[in-house]
Amino acid sequence: MEMTERHVMGLIEMLYKMADDQLIIGHRNSEWTGLGPILEEDIAFSSMAQDKIGQSLALYELLHELGEQDPDTVAFTRNAEQFHCCQLVEAPIGEFDFSIVRQYLFDQAEALRFEMLITSVYEPLAMVSRKFRGEIKYHVMHGKTWIEQLSKGNEESHDRMQQALNAVWPLALGMFEEGDYEKEIAEVHIFAGEKALQARWMETVVPFLSSCGLEIPAHSDAVLGGRKGKHSPELQPLLDEMCEVFRIDPSAEW
Amino acid sequence: MKIKSLDPRIERAQLDSDSQEGMNSPMDQFQTYEVFEQKKRGTHHIHVGSVHAPNAELASVFAKEQYTRRGQCVNLWVVPTAAIYATAYEDADIFETTPSKYHRDPESYKVMDRIQAFKQKQNA
Amino acid sequence: MYGSAYIDPNTQFEGYLAPGEDPALLAEFEARIAAGDKIEPRDWMPALYRKQLIRMIEQHAHSEIIGALPEGTWITRAPGFRRKLALMAKVQDEVGHAQLLYNAAETLGKSREDMINDLLTGKSKYSNVFNYPAMTWADSAVIAWLIDAAAIVNQLANSKGSYGPYSRALDRICAEESFHLKYGHDNVVFLATGTPKQRQMVQEALTRWWEPIMHFFGPPDNVSQHTEVLMRWKVKMDTNDNMRQMFLNMYVPKIWDLGLSLPDPDLRKNEETGKWEYTEPNWETFKQVINGHGPCNAERLAVRRMAEEKGRWVRRAILKENTPYAIPLS
Repeated sequence: MEMTERHVMGLIEMLYKMADDQLIIGHRNSEWTGLGPILEEDIAFSSMAQDKIGQSLALYELLHELGEQDPDTVAFTRNAEQFHCCQLVEAPIGEFDFSIVRQYLFDQAEALRFEMLITSVYEPLAMVSRKFRGEIKYHVMHGKTWIEQLSKGNEESHDRMQQALNAVWPLALGMFEEGDYEKEIAEVHIFAGEKALQARWMETVVPFLSSCGLEIPAHSDAVLGGRKGKHSPELQPLLDEMCEVFRIDPSAEW
Repeated sequence: MKIKSLDPRIERAQLDSDSQEGMNSPMDQFQTYEVFEQKKRGTHHIHVGSVHAPNAELASVFAKEQYTRRGQCVNLWVVPTAAIYATAYEDADIFETTPSKYHRDPESYKVMDRIQAFKQKQNA
Repeated sequence: MYGSAYIDPNTQFEGYLAPGEDPALLAEFEARIAAGDKIEPRDWMPALYRKQLIRMIEQHAHSEIIGALPEGTWITRAPGFRRKLALMAKVQDEVGHAQLLYNAAETLGKSREDMINDLLTGKSKYSNVFNYPAMTWADSAVIAWLIDAAAIVNQLANSKGSYGPYSRALDRICAEESFHLKYGHDNVVFLATGTPKQRQMVQEALTRWWEPIMHFFGPPDNVSQHTEVLMRWKVKMDTNDNMRQMFLNMYVPKIWDLGLSLPDPDLRKNEETGKWEYTEPNWETFKQVINGHGPCNAERLAVRRMAEEKGRWVRRAILKENTPYAIPLS
């Protein structure tokens, strides 16, 4: 099937939401730098944050090739309503339980998403997906190791993990909010779509979390809106931080 | 007194400068694991340092970013420090005469002179 | 990054052999060091050597972990992908250095937890320079360039020291610091050669940081018997003044080269002596800051306390009781 303008618009929409997710969670995870629960973990979180921001850069570069503005402009000058990230990635790091549950649920979805994209007909995206594979595999390994150990640690840590899961779950479901071009990007085999991804993700995370003795929150509604520019109040302050230095002198090269 | 910080993370945390929280007990000490990295297939694993961790799985997750975040690596070992039996430096003399054991050294087998001499004698 | 270990001039020096220590072992120990050999963790060593090294490596480790805070402040605000990724990696390295250094100090018999407790109670110090705030993005650039440069002068000297684990850690650290220095220089150059606003930012930051930088290597050493022994044992590798001279010699020309000025009208190189002349920084301020009265002392320790406190449930949950603790091998 031939690519039409609508297909390209679908591709652009998808790349934006993926890149925005990574950019924002990368910034949030960077907040552990210097504050981690164990020195070694502090280092691990920083690496994952760097990987995410690096991955977002690669995706913004693809967008630039598709005619969007350059990565620095796109990443560091938009306002909240122009962002397409899901609300899961927006909150500050909070406690380690929240951070680690978010990190695992997010990265497990990333791992599956990029695995699906390796066969995308949009070759530049298939290429970066192959490149990210190893990095994301480590992120998943990191998340799973921690979740398993803390869920099976002691009573306090188990309770904390369960509560964090209850809080994060509806936000995590928001990752799979559908875009306006799901049909288009699926029919030309750019990406099989959010529904397909969510199904795979459920098949992966539910058995794992259960094996850790955690209960999946029942009757949980996804927190939607992020993909359409509707965000939690926590996003804009972060974007203000991200733009702060640029705004001192917009004509300058930093 | 509430701390006023330039750091947005610290501002959000609303820290109190008079708080005396935070002290650890000696019980909080994890085990240590020694880390060995292999840079390329076919080469030896080399000791690069240690990490603190409660078990091997986390030790491995930690070691990966602490010791291999630059450069090439294909394989990583973590070994509980307590499992390593080391010789004592005061016993270093057990190795002392080793370098002078020429009978183990290929360099000490030089027969070309003898062969040359033998050939000359044959031809004479 | 790190300055000289602060040796309190009022420390009483009680001879370099503790009661009961064998002079023959000392002679062997000193001969090994004189021959350029390294001392390893399980070797015999004088109690004074062990004590000084623990203090020095521990202060160095604390400086790295506290040093991650002023620059960490700027990570989310770093302008653009290139600067952001570099700053993240740089601050991560500082935490990584703390990890390496705590391990090295641990080989001498003090646990990481004890060291961190001593940091939190103020019993053990860290480099004074981190008690100052990084007010603007330009401050983070000046720190990355000049504080790291000063740290390299110090660390390169110390990496030639006699204690094996510390030397090995420093070799790795120096290799990583050279990236910090390059990144910092690049950042300062962009500001100094940029728009008038950028130049103004970097000049102001430099002016703010000059005194802390001059303080960095510590007050002039009084050549006590104590210092002399530490230098013979290759614990202290050079005098504070010598290292300050090396730093000035390498970096003042580079700063002037960018058309930036330093807030010391008397700063100049005496071509006859080859030495730099400068106005002594106020050492009273230095002491005040060490003793807890700098602009950020309270914040730095409060943040460390928070990190320990917030991490406690995590550590407790995964800690296995009755596992044997062994001192890291090397």
